Amino acid sequence: MYRCFSKPQRTGVFVSQALKEIDRLGVSSLFITLIVSLFMGAVLTIQTQNNIENPLLPDYTVGLVTRDTLLLEFCSMVLCLFLAGNIGSNIASQIGTMRISEQIDAMDIMGVNSANYIILPKIVAVVLYIPVLVVFSMFTGMLGGYLIAAFTDIITTSKFIYGLQYWFIEWYVYYSLIKAAVFAFIIASVSAYWGYFVRGGTLEVGKASTKAVVTCSVLILLADVVLTQILLL
Amino acid sequence: MIEVRDVCKSFVANELVLKHISTTFHSGKINQIIGRSGSGKTVLLKCIVGLHTLDSGDILYDGRSFTAMSKKEKMQLCSEIGMLFQGSALFDSLTIIENVLFPMQMFSEKSEKEQQDRARFCLERVGLYNVFDMYPAELSGGMQKRAAIARAISLNPKYLFCDEPNSGLDPLTASKIDELIVELTKEFQMTTIINTHDLNSVLSVGEHIVFIHKGEKAWEGPKEKLFVSNCPELDDFIFASEMYQKFRTTLVSEQSGQI
Repeated sequence: MYRCFSKPQRTGVFVSQALKEIDRLGVSSLFITLIVSLFMGAVLTIQTQNNIENPLLPDYTVGLVTRDTLLLEFCSMVLCLFLAGNIGSNIASQIGTMRISEQIDAMDIMGVNSANYIILPKIVAVVLYIPVLVVFSMFTGMLGGYLIAAFTDIITTSKFIYGLQYWFIEWYVYYSLIKAAVFAFIIASVSAYWGYFVRGGTLEVGKASTKAVVTCSVLILLADVVLTQILLL
Repeated sequence: MIEVRDVCKSFVANELVLKHISTTFHSGKINQIIGRSGSGKTVLLKCIVGLHTLDSGDILYDGRSFTAMSKKEKMQLCSEIGMLFQGSALFDSLTIIENVLFPMQMFSEKSEKEQQDRARFCLERVGLYNVFDMYPAELSGGMQKRAAIARAISLNPKYLFCDEPNSGLDPLTASKIDELIVELTKEFQMTTIINTHDLNSVLSVGEHIVFIHKGEKAWEGPKEKLFVSNCPELDDFIFASEMYQKFRTTLVSEQSGQI
């Protein structure tokens, strides 16, 4: 842990590595994030409409519930669970492969702080970029709901948009972004841990990758409970 | 010169993998550690370079005790070490020239232009041209070994360690890699230690041989005394193949005559 978070040996190299990781881990996850969020928002709108049968509730409630559900849980927790599978397994398998092919030993012999060189840029990249993905997810999720309103007759677009804007609590966005940053840290650090300490061959790399995803998912759910208790109540 | 003093290493309690090994590796010479698979050669090499911590004993690099070194001194020592791994250990995500540039980017104060020039010189020195922008996976095993050697010598090391440099290579390529290591050792007056169980390599380039058997140093001496060692374990190792058994009498009488 100390080795990982110590000062980088060469700042220039560290910045360059972090930018590469943002591209490799973050930007490459953008497309799939948008697709998932679009469908998530669409399904959420349909489900909300189907489950609100109380005539006392106004129609725009669909937009409001869709927005708040996306902001509070879906765009941070569900998206991060998804990214734990995508980014987490990628990190664990990449570092694990470097370990078993002696690339990490080669760095250690050169005197390079391998934990710092390999892991810290990934953590920084993921913690910086996942909140950005969450912002994209928020907009795309709401767009998904809007498209359902536009192409079906379950709710009018004007009422849906009114619901999206009604009683907007700004803190929910910050809350979501804080959660995303914490989840991102969990994804990068836990996956890197499993990858870095792989022993054996390619089979163990696969096992480490699976363990990384499972551990990340459990810790994300646990952290979600704790953060919700701390930040919302 | 590297001195190994009474080195012991275990991974499980009371099961020593290396048992009180002491030897000296001289500079400007090809020192070889030989032995059967699982005898402890690689563990010894990794203990010498500091990848494994010692249970007891010491390693002296030109009189400097490795165990007594401060973190800063160890870092300084690392810049004097070049290592060629069994599987080359080139960084997959970097091109060949980036691999060779890597140690310089991390430790050298040279300008970018000087670093580029040095990387190109090292690659050309090991016979690699026109592959600078290729990735390791695009090269053959022999070319990967050459690239790994280029990376190992990029910081002008005083000590070169090679872990089974010939494994997975055809005999011709293997002998070329051996020749290259010999040339570089003489050219830069390095202390070179090669870990191998390839007898062809031992006979062609080895100068000072250390034979490890079940974690113990069973024999040590010059190549010229290899066939007349009076060490039964070494004889079993050398004459394991049918070809060497066939020429055993000739080889032994030749070396006896030389002595």
